[in-house]
Amino acid sequence: MKNPYYPIDTVVEDIITETPTIKTFCLKPKKPIAFRAGQFMQLTVPGVGEAPFTPSSDPNISEKMEISILKTGKVTDALHELKPGAKVGLRGPFGKGYPLDKLVGKEVLVVGGGVGLAPMRALLYALFNDPSKYKKIVIKFGAREPEELSFRRQYDEWGSLAPNISLQTTIDVPHPKWDGHVGLVTSILDDLDINIPDSYALSCGPEIMLKFVTLKLLEVGYKPPQIYLSMNRKMSCGMGKCGRCNVGHYYLCVDGPDMCYDKIKHVPNVFG
Amino acid sequence: MRFIDSTNFERLLKKLSSEGELFVPVRDEDSGKLHLQRAESFPLPEGTTFDGYRTVESLKAFGQLVRSTVAEYPMPDGEAFESEGQFPTFVVVGAKACDLYALKMVDKVLIEGEFTDPFYQSRRDHMIIISADCSECAESCFCNLLGKRPFPEEGFDLNISRISGGFLVEAGSLRGEEVISANEEFFTEPRPGQAKARDDVRAKVIEELENNNRDFPEATVMTEPLRELLTDDLWSGEAARCVECGACTNICPTCYCFLLFDQREGNESYRRISSWDSCQVTGYARMAGMGTPRAHLSDRVKHRFYHKYDYLVLSHGEIYCTGCGRCIDACSAGIDMRDVFRKVKAQAAK
Repeated sequence: MKNPYYPIDTVVEDIITETPTIKTFCLKPKKPIAFRAGQFMQLTVPGVGEAPFTPSSDPNISEKMEISILKTGKVTDALHELKPGAKVGLRGPFGKGYPLDKLVGKEVLVVGGGVGLAPMRALLYALFNDPSKYKKIVIKFGAREPEELSFRRQYDEWGSLAPNISLQTTIDVPHPKWDGHVGLVTSILDDLDINIPDSYALSCGPEIMLKFVTLKLLEVGYKPPQIYLSMNRKMSCGMGKCGRCNVGHYYLCVDGPDMCYDKIKHVPNVFG
Repeated sequence: MRFIDSTNFERLLKKLSSEGELFVPVRDEDSGKLHLQRAESFPLPEGTTFDGYRTVESLKAFGQLVRSTVAEYPMPDGEAFESEGQFPTFVVVGAKACDLYALKMVDKVLIEGEFTDPFYQSRRDHMIIISADCSECAESCFCNLLGKRPFPEEGFDLNISRISGGFLVEAGSLRGEEVISANEEFFTEPRPGQAKARDDVRAKVIEELENNNRDFPEATVMTEPLRELLTDDLWSGEAARCVECGACTNICPTCYCFLLFDQREGNESYRRISSWDSCQVTGYARMAGMGTPRAHLSDRVKHRFYHKYDYLVLSHGEIYCTGCGRCIDACSAGIDMRDVFRKVKAQAAK
């Protein structure tokens, strides 16, 4: 039998600074870890603890894995102090991941904000694997400031990958170095060039953003079964046992972390 | 079914104690309550009582230690789980029906499904359970409100029912049958009337339970209209009395939630610890960045109720409460689950 609490030895090969508060850790586990887009890992910093993160790298690659992490607590503070060569540990993958099968033949709307762009990048890699399988891939990314948009070095490439892909970004408040759209990410969801009844929307970001994105999507005509949200809770064991990541009777670590809004819309204070 | 007299039963336990650590219920003279105690020698401790009602402690700690190491680093091939020689055998005597219901519920969560907790499973595999019928009920007992009965029907190796001069014994597992066949000299065939004597005690305890709880309604399984009906003031009312000590969840035999954390042991070594946790404390569901989905005590009091009486019904098919009443005894604020049933029913009737 395997001990599910023991992580796989992993080496930090490289660290990329994405934004002032987000770094991407390029990891090489001792043995390959196959994951689906949206599934999450428990990343251990030796002696400090472990915390849940969804990889931001291409799910087709299992020998290496990238995880983009916001500095925001005990484990992530320690992660941000690490140097290439450091030893960490990985457990997982856990959860269901994004409903990729449902997206085939559909118009896919991807809405990300802040560090929520990280899991979205794994989703995009999965979609970009064969963009022709989807009618449209519409990407809407937002951040507070220009330099807080993760992966911006890749946007031009993504936007020109295939004719059915479009990418739009926005920042919350005006900035001298920004000549693009200004406003919350919800402000670029009004005039969607999407046939909404034939579409799925997937969103990841801070809870407050998820709340207002959901309200906006409902307003522009999406129905709850068409909306998938990457929910935030304290996932720990990853196996539906330790009890702390519930949304209603679902455990995000086994039933999510990407939840169909239709399943959780009745839960009081679903957005915290 | 077999009969064993009291002297031979103690002899049987002495033999079984060579297989593992023996635990028996012992009545505390001052409080009259039963505590589960390790019996290290014979004769058994004064006050040993196999019938009575459930002990103050549940059997939870045999399967899930209060605090245990689940991984150590560095460890060559630490992923491989090794159970050989790691887990002592426990012979637990006098467990009651509510204890067995609870074990079965926690087994469903920690053993069944896509993932198994190998530590819990190994400890469970190393338990020999000799359960017993209740012969009385405590004021806080309310298993009847959950449709449960005060005598074990499954989940034991052997079950004993006290009657005059000894016990009627039933095997509930292959291991239980083996214990009987390996110790035939201790057992006799039951005499006419002994089964009826057992059934009379069972009926008497059921009647006691019904009398004890006649002012309370049965536990209500949540339904969609009821979920909508229950107002927040129900929970803030309970929360106003709660002192957030977590005794209810610690004492509860079906509360299985745990905390994983890492402890540094030196520069290069550390261990991962699993410890009991309580959804009633503020930090339980807190995320990095200090956000928590249940910031108010009333949210947490409500969560305790919903986890047991709604969420686990939806995910695991039954109410995760056995009616053992330990939470009532443990609560320094006098919060009584039966009272919550009554308030829920009152709101539903509105």
